[in-house]
Amino acid sequence: MKDFRTLQILDLCKGLFERLGVDYPVMRKILAVKLTMDGRRTPTIFNQQQAKKKNKPEENGFLKSLGMYVLLSLFIIPIMLFFDNYLYQMSIFFGIVMFLVMTSMISDFSNVLLDLKDKTILQTKPVDKKTISAAKTVHISIYLFFLTAAIAGAPIIAGTIKHGLLYLLLTLVGLVFVDLFIVVLTAIIYFLILRYFDGEKLKDIINYVQIGLSITIAIGYQILARAFEFVDLSITFTPSWWHYLIPPIWFGAPFELFLNHDSSGYLVGFSLLALVMPILMMMIYSRMLPSFERNLQKLASQSGEGKRKDNRWKNWLAGIVCRSHEERVFFRFADHMMRNEREFRLKVYPALGLSLVFPFVFIFNEIRMNSYASLVASKWYLAIYMACLMIPSAVAMLKYSGKYKGAWIYQTAPLTSLAPLFSAVLKVFIVNLFLPVYLVLSVIFIAIFGWRVVPDLLVVFVSSILFTVIFSVFLKDSLPFSESFADAQQSGGIKILLATLGIAMFVGIHFAATLVPFGVWGYLILLLLITYFAWKLAYKTMWNVKT
Amino acid sequence: MELTSREKVIVIEQNQEIALCLKGLKKDYGSKQVLKGIDLTVQRGQIIGYIGPNGAGKSTTIKIILGLEGDYSGKVEIFGEEVTEQSVDYKRKIGYVPEVAELYDNLTAREYLTFVGELYGLDFQTADQKAQQLMKVFGLEEVYHARIASYSKGMRQKVLIISSLIHNPDLLFLDEPLSGLDANSVMVFKEILAVLAAQGKTIFYSSHIMDVVEKISNRIILINDGNIVADGSFDELKQQNHEGTLEQIFNQLTGFNEHKALAEEFVAIVQGV
Repeated sequence: MKDFRTLQILDLCKGLFERLGVDYPVMRKILAVKLTMDGRRTPTIFNQQQAKKKNKPEENGFLKSLGMYVLLSLFIIPIMLFFDNYLYQMSIFFGIVMFLVMTSMISDFSNVLLDLKDKTILQTKPVDKKTISAAKTVHISIYLFFLTAAIAGAPIIAGTIKHGLLYLLLTLVGLVFVDLFIVVLTAIIYFLILRYFDGEKLKDIINYVQIGLSITIAIGYQILARAFEFVDLSITFTPSWWHYLIPPIWFGAPFELFLNHDSSGYLVGFSLLALVMPILMMMIYSRMLPSFERNLQKLASQSGEGKRKDNRWKNWLAGIVCRSHEERVFFRFADHMMRNEREFRLKVYPALGLSLVFPFVFIFNEIRMNSYASLVASKWYLAIYMACLMIPSAVAMLKYSGKYKGAWIYQTAPLTSLAPLFSAVLKVFIVNLFLPVYLVLSVIFIAIFGWRVVPDLLVVFVSSILFTVIFSVFLKDSLPFSESFADAQQSGGIKILLATLGIAMFVGIHFAATLVPFGVWGYLILLLLITYFAWKLAYKTMWNVKT
Repeated sequence: MELTSREKVIVIEQNQEIALCLKGLKKDYGSKQVLKGIDLTVQRGQIIGYIGPNGAGKSTTIKIILGLEGDYSGKVEIFGEEVTEQSVDYKRKIGYVPEVAELYDNLTAREYLTFVGELYGLDFQTADQKAQQLMKVFGLEEVYHARIASYSKGMRQKVLIISSLIHNPDLLFLDEPLSGLDANSVMVFKEILAVLAAQGKTIFYSSHIMDVVEKISNRIILINDGNIVADGSFDELKQQNHEGTLEQIFNQLTGFNEHKALAEEFVAIVQGV
């Protein structure tokens, strides 16, 4: 284990810790272990581009993820520079910081707050509880320090140059309180979830926050890149009661109060909340801590999950879309796997979220360039093909599973061919993952463009099924749910690029068909035939893996 | 009565002979009483087979002794010293193999074992040397620098065993320590236990595999529903209960006699398909 510079700096405070009755050398050892382990985790923010690093020297995943946050933070700088209203500017700033710190905290740091191993491993050793909890506190503080510094560093420098030293001081104090507020808030939320639900529910919630973080960061790039266009606004703030419920505004208020010497009542009120709330919550939290620790044990115990109802509509659907009995069996199996596996959701759902959003990026562009009326008359409904872009990478993900070792079951089962498995998995992909996105988009598109686009939407749907068949080539030489996510390559950049070009070709053909009278209907019939035979062909050849 | 100085020495020596003493240990989780008053004195050098059905309170007892569970009533004494919530130093004399292989498996064996060694107060060099040698004895020297996450179940168990013994403890708590070990390693480990006991170490051995418990322990304690229901050597238990094996004694004392009926039902369902 290497000697961390962070800990060398911490050594300066050795005397302080010892005066508090903490066994400093032991705490330092615990922290060294914790930091080593942090460095070996892959942060959620890298989720999409996890490369194989078997042969690379050890690199610190945590420090690398900070780079991403620094990059994101560059987009905040214009907000700090161009708004002239402190309250507004700083509220947005603290809002962004709070959001990023909180999501990152939940997605990558939950295991520190919710750690069960610590208890068995550390408390059985001759280490007193004070030292253990000091180590935990310092660990969280180190993490928060780096994270906050990465997110807020560049904007603070820019802001200080413009607004001066008092501004710097206020921001630093503000950030400390914001961090405190967030840690305690997260802990209290966990506590409440654990109080009323079981550990599985909490893990699900953490999973969805992780997915949300991935989506937000991807969309954030799109939106923040456009933030430059709005910066010329000057805003007047009229306070109303519900502003008291928005924490970022509390933390924005002191700037108006001290820098503009505006001591309106509401500003004082907000500032007081910023000061008092974190401390108050801290006190509530320390009161709750013992019962929190007790509830934490729920994470370890498997409380019997209520009996799940058999999903009637899924059974009905399996009967419709599957031809053989084996295929229906695999359909239900794949349905459960994709629905229950958190790691799979984490890898695939963000792409789903994005494919829901991307078509509108183009549509908004068109509205801004021309007008809504010209959009409605145009052929921009073809933007729905943007949603198909997720098909290749999502299909490629179908071969991975967190519990990939369970795949022996395919080999030991008395089956002659695994073709039903492949076709069932792809059908579940279409029904469970693609169809919901497609339906939502279709409804919105029909609302925008009118009923005339229905045949086009049908074409898109059939094409998507065809894409699914074509891109199932990515599953070649392996079986569904049979490989570890750790082996997921950089999702094969070139492969995905080629797939994108392929989809673009279909968009071109579709566009050409719209120029011919009844061209779309003719194209639809042609596609139906091709897709039908492509599926049959793939079933007999590509998916026909003998056991 | 006034004790002479010689008698005092004897009393102290006798205390030294007692490794563990539980007095009226009670613990409840809300309305559910898990331990209903456990009284137990364990001499040095004994291997105690601590058995009981799932949920009988075995793990809870061990967790209380190790300070993982608070809020109990009764007294716990280790080597004559009472254990309170604040006491920490007694843990230096204890080694523990938990039932579930909980380790920081993102660390390498070297990192983990030296860490544990240092927590027990060894210096890094000693811990490193000892750990490496012990890994070698278990045939794991090749993976000393590999992450524990990549280990098989048996290998992890060996690391856990090493981590429980690296500081040469006087009192060992082993919860299902053989799980995942192959037959040869099992033999080595049983022998290790015998040698340790002969040198005066006390071993608290908890397991569901009755054959092993029967063979290695020189005293068996059976706990059921929060109470000790049997305590004695295997021979004594055999005489008291007129049964041939520990498994049968266990079934008898825990009031379980449906194993035949359940087995028949199971097979009938299997064949009914």
